[in-house]
Amino acid sequence: MSKNEVGDGSTMIKITDLEKFYRTEEVETIALNKLSIEIKTGEFVAIMGPSGCGKSTLLNILGMLDDPDEGSYVFNGIEVAHFTERKRADLRKHNIGFVFQSFNLIDELTVFENVELPLIYTGVPSAERVKRVEEVLDKMQIMHRRNHYPQQLSGGQQQRVAIARAVVNKPKLILADEPTGNLDSSNGNDVMELLTDLNEQGTTIIMVTHSEHDARYSHRIIRLLDGQSVMENIMI
Amino acid sequence: MIFNYIKIAWRNLVKQKLFSLINITGLAVGLAVCMMIMMYVTHESSYDRFHKNAERIFNPHVGFKMGGTSVNMAFMSYAAADIMKQKQPAVADYNRTMAYFKPVVASNPEKPDSKYSESKLLFADANFFNFFSFKLVSGNASTVLNRPFTVVLSEDMSKKYFGDENPIGKLITLKTDSAFTYQVTGVAQNNPSNSSIEFNFVTSNLSLLTMKEAKLYTGAKEISFGNFSVYLLLNHASDTVALRRSLDLMAKHDKTFDNVHYYLAALPDSHLKSNFGDSSNTKYLKIFPLVAILILLLALVNYMSLSTARATLRAKEVGVRKVAGASRKTIATQFYVESAMFATISFVLGYLLCYAFKPWFLNVLQLKIDDTFLYSPTVLILLFALLILTILIAGSYPSLVLSAFKPVATLKGKMGKSTGGVVVRKVFTTLQFAISVGLIICGIVIDRQLYYFRHVDTGVSRENVVMIPVHNTFGNNYLAFRQDVKSLSGIESAATSHYPMFKGYDMNQFTGKTKDENIMLASLLGDDQYIKTLGLKWKYAPAAGEKLAGTDRIVINEAAIEKLHLPANPIGSYAQSGNQKVRVIGVLKNFNFSSLQSDISGMVLNVEPDQYLFSPRDGCNLYARIKPYTNIPTLLQKMEAIYKKYDKDTPFEYTFMDDAFNAQYKAEDRLASIFSVFTYITIILATLGLFGLAAFTIEQRTKEIGIRKVLGASLVSINTLLSRDFLVLVVLSITIASPIAWWAMHKWLEGFAYRITISWWMFAVAGLAAIITAIVTVSYHAIKAGIANPVDSLRSE
Repeated sequence: MSKNEVGDGSTMIKITDLEKFYRTEEVETIALNKLSIEIKTGEFVAIMGPSGCGKSTLLNILGMLDDPDEGSYVFNGIEVAHFTERKRADLRKHNIGFVFQSFNLIDELTVFENVELPLIYTGVPSAERVKRVEEVLDKMQIMHRRNHYPQQLSGGQQQRVAIARAVVNKPKLILADEPTGNLDSSNGNDVMELLTDLNEQGTTIIMVTHSEHDARYSHRIIRLLDGQSVMENIMI
Repeated sequence: MIFNYIKIAWRNLVKQKLFSLINITGLAVGLAVCMMIMMYVTHESSYDRFHKNAERIFNPHVGFKMGGTSVNMAFMSYAAADIMKQKQPAVADYNRTMAYFKPVVASNPEKPDSKYSESKLLFADANFFNFFSFKLVSGNASTVLNRPFTVVLSEDMSKKYFGDENPIGKLITLKTDSAFTYQVTGVAQNNPSNSSIEFNFVTSNLSLLTMKEAKLYTGAKEISFGNFSVYLLLNHASDTVALRRSLDLMAKHDKTFDNVHYYLAALPDSHLKSNFGDSSNTKYLKIFPLVAILILLLALVNYMSLSTARATLRAKEVGVRKVAGASRKTIATQFYVESAMFATISFVLGYLLCYAFKPWFLNVLQLKIDDTFLYSPTVLILLFALLILTILIAGSYPSLVLSAFKPVATLKGKMGKSTGGVVVRKVFTTLQFAISVGLIICGIVIDRQLYYFRHVDTGVSRENVVMIPVHNTFGNNYLAFRQDVKSLSGIESAATSHYPMFKGYDMNQFTGKTKDENIMLASLLGDDQYIKTLGLKWKYAPAAGEKLAGTDRIVINEAAIEKLHLPANPIGSYAQSGNQKVRVIGVLKNFNFSSLQSDISGMVLNVEPDQYLFSPRDGCNLYARIKPYTNIPTLLQKMEAIYKKYDKDTPFEYTFMDDAFNAQYKAEDRLASIFSVFTYITIILATLGLFGLAAFTIEQRTKEIGIRKVLGASLVSINTLLSRDFLVLVVLSITIASPIAWWAMHKWLEGFAYRITISWWMFAVAGLAAIITAIVTVSYHAIKAGIANPVDSLRSE
């Protein structure tokens, strides 16, 4: 276990009265308005709401890509709301994987190299990297595409590469931002099955989505409006 | 990790071919210029440092006042060194050299028919090869010169006269005032290009002493100026202060001149510091490094500007890497590695360019640099330092900008126009154009000044006058030679002069109103055809029937009237020259007898009878005015045939007077040629930079252009819209560059007595050139974006 993997095992994320504002010279927009949410280890949570409700802002803060203006964010028992960029980067690379709507693969790197990237940054030795990347590519059934470049793949394949990259470091938490948004329904279902499998193996998943269909894969739906949680649905 | 960085850098390079090409060539050209200038400057400052005792060897120079004019002499009498060594304990040893002042005819007695005219015959004391560090290929340094009429050949000469044979012990004939046969006792490596002492043949002063002409050079028995370069080896480099003081004390007894002072120039300084007034070398050394820095800066700015412009394309990658766990430091390192790769490729290309253009560059500067010097540790270390510096600077700004990207924004594709340091890139572009415009203005001014020099009326009709040096080897045949030349059908007139025009004159001393007032005037020596042949104009012509030639009479120029305190029309007045009263018989209108860098000074023309003009030591010069429409090559052949009739050994040489006039501005000419090349390079660099920048800026505005087109914008209006932003920068750069260039050129022109005035059109031309270049460059992209189908650009959003 790495030094950052601490916590009580039951509550992974606890945010309290979280606030985030976007200011221009004339307008101040409230993206998150005293939002409080708790997420347990091993949960699969979907976040829904109309455009501009603060879904992505919340996901960025949860992923430590952005910091809140006010409030508390406890991750695995550590208060991270006011961590420096360096500390956040360190905590992030050991604990969190990301999946994006637009895949965000690096065009100049092959499938293998894209998936290998997080392992390079966490300092995994070369031989071990090859083993782990091959393992995960195999699991995602894209091993035969390992030497192709992203633009040579279909959308569904690209998203599988992106998921492979997100899970290769065995993160505790996967944050998915509309992971099926750019895919057709068949590829979209495949991706959702993959995420469900990962969740069943113990990975906590938080997913932002517009799709009620996708949201049904989760345990719980948090609905946001104007930066506030307006409803929570427990899926049965 | 580094491997991963290099890999992605390489793939980016290949993917973005055009921009990689612009980036790499731009930087390579900048580096090539920088390398060439660096080699040149290093070579210039490395002169004579290869001697083992370089730091302890000093040249004594003497400075004194003659008629109110300061004179510096670098050459000393033959006796000077010996006396200095005897009286000054600080002097451990000395060597005297005399470079023979004209070409000699050399031949191998075994092949008497192949004779060549050779330069660089050096007379030196016997310890020459021990005193200095010139390397002998064969022969013993201590004994090669210890007998009269022994000679050490350079490797080139050995090869030329003896081929692959071993020349040691063989004979070679060198004709100075008469032909002497020397025994070859050694072969020396050719003197390095960074040696101020040059030789093809080294023979001992002992040989010189046996020659008839030696009396002319070795007569003086005391310390005074003379014909020898004297090198003193001091016990300690720090002895110079004491030595100078005691030399000055010795000089106090010298009553011939006022204010006699000695200077001791360290041998390594002699090349750059003791060129008394001829500052062309040092002038370049000051200007060129500045130009090199500017061009390198331009190339680096280009690199940084393009790299940060491309930043928008790389932003997603930075975001992904950060999300995958990269810290800002790792991203910064990555872009540094990438810059290092680009810089290294550019460096290698730059080195190849430098190597390819080196012969041209050296030719323009009229320089020779040994290849061995180019691979010397000093040069290699400097090149390495240049590489490191380039990498450090080139990588700095891009890695700073790119590593600062926020993943949240970049991953959402929200790279607005405000990212990637737009302001900084604008500053970069302005800077580039400012440098270009500045250099264009300077180039125009230099070019105009040189044009002015060549075409200004100097009062001398210098076209179609050929000057032929006639050496003392002619003996008594000069007058017959002149008569033969005069009788050629293509010759209008012929005159005799002591010096070739524009290449020297004597100084005459006159007494002023009181006995203590010494007036120094330039003195030209010629015959009675001199004035006619040069087309000089009279201000006050001599009385009819007055003979021009005679030692009791002089012709002066207008400037000399005031100098000599003579009445406005001085015909018939007398001036006191030494012990003799001379009568002014005519006044010439002022004409330029030396460089236009200085004003016309007072001048006296001593017209002398023919028998005095041909000097047994130096010979004289024949000026021949050629009739218009004459076939010049044929005429020159005829002249050469006549010349060979009287002197078959010495080569026939000639110079046209207008060439001699133009040769005075060689330094300026070279400056102009190099400057124009540098200007072109900066323009190309700035254009490349703008080209790349425009491409990216316009790419960012593709959607805007699409919307405007849908709403009915014309191609012209889109082009105007896109070009406007860049034009503002170019206009700004013109505003910045103009006053700086004006100031620099104003300073440069101050060095010339005859100069042009800087006028507004020079700035206008430079500015217009920059604006047109910018419009053409930007329009290429603007039109391309303008004619694209808006449906495509809108769909891509």
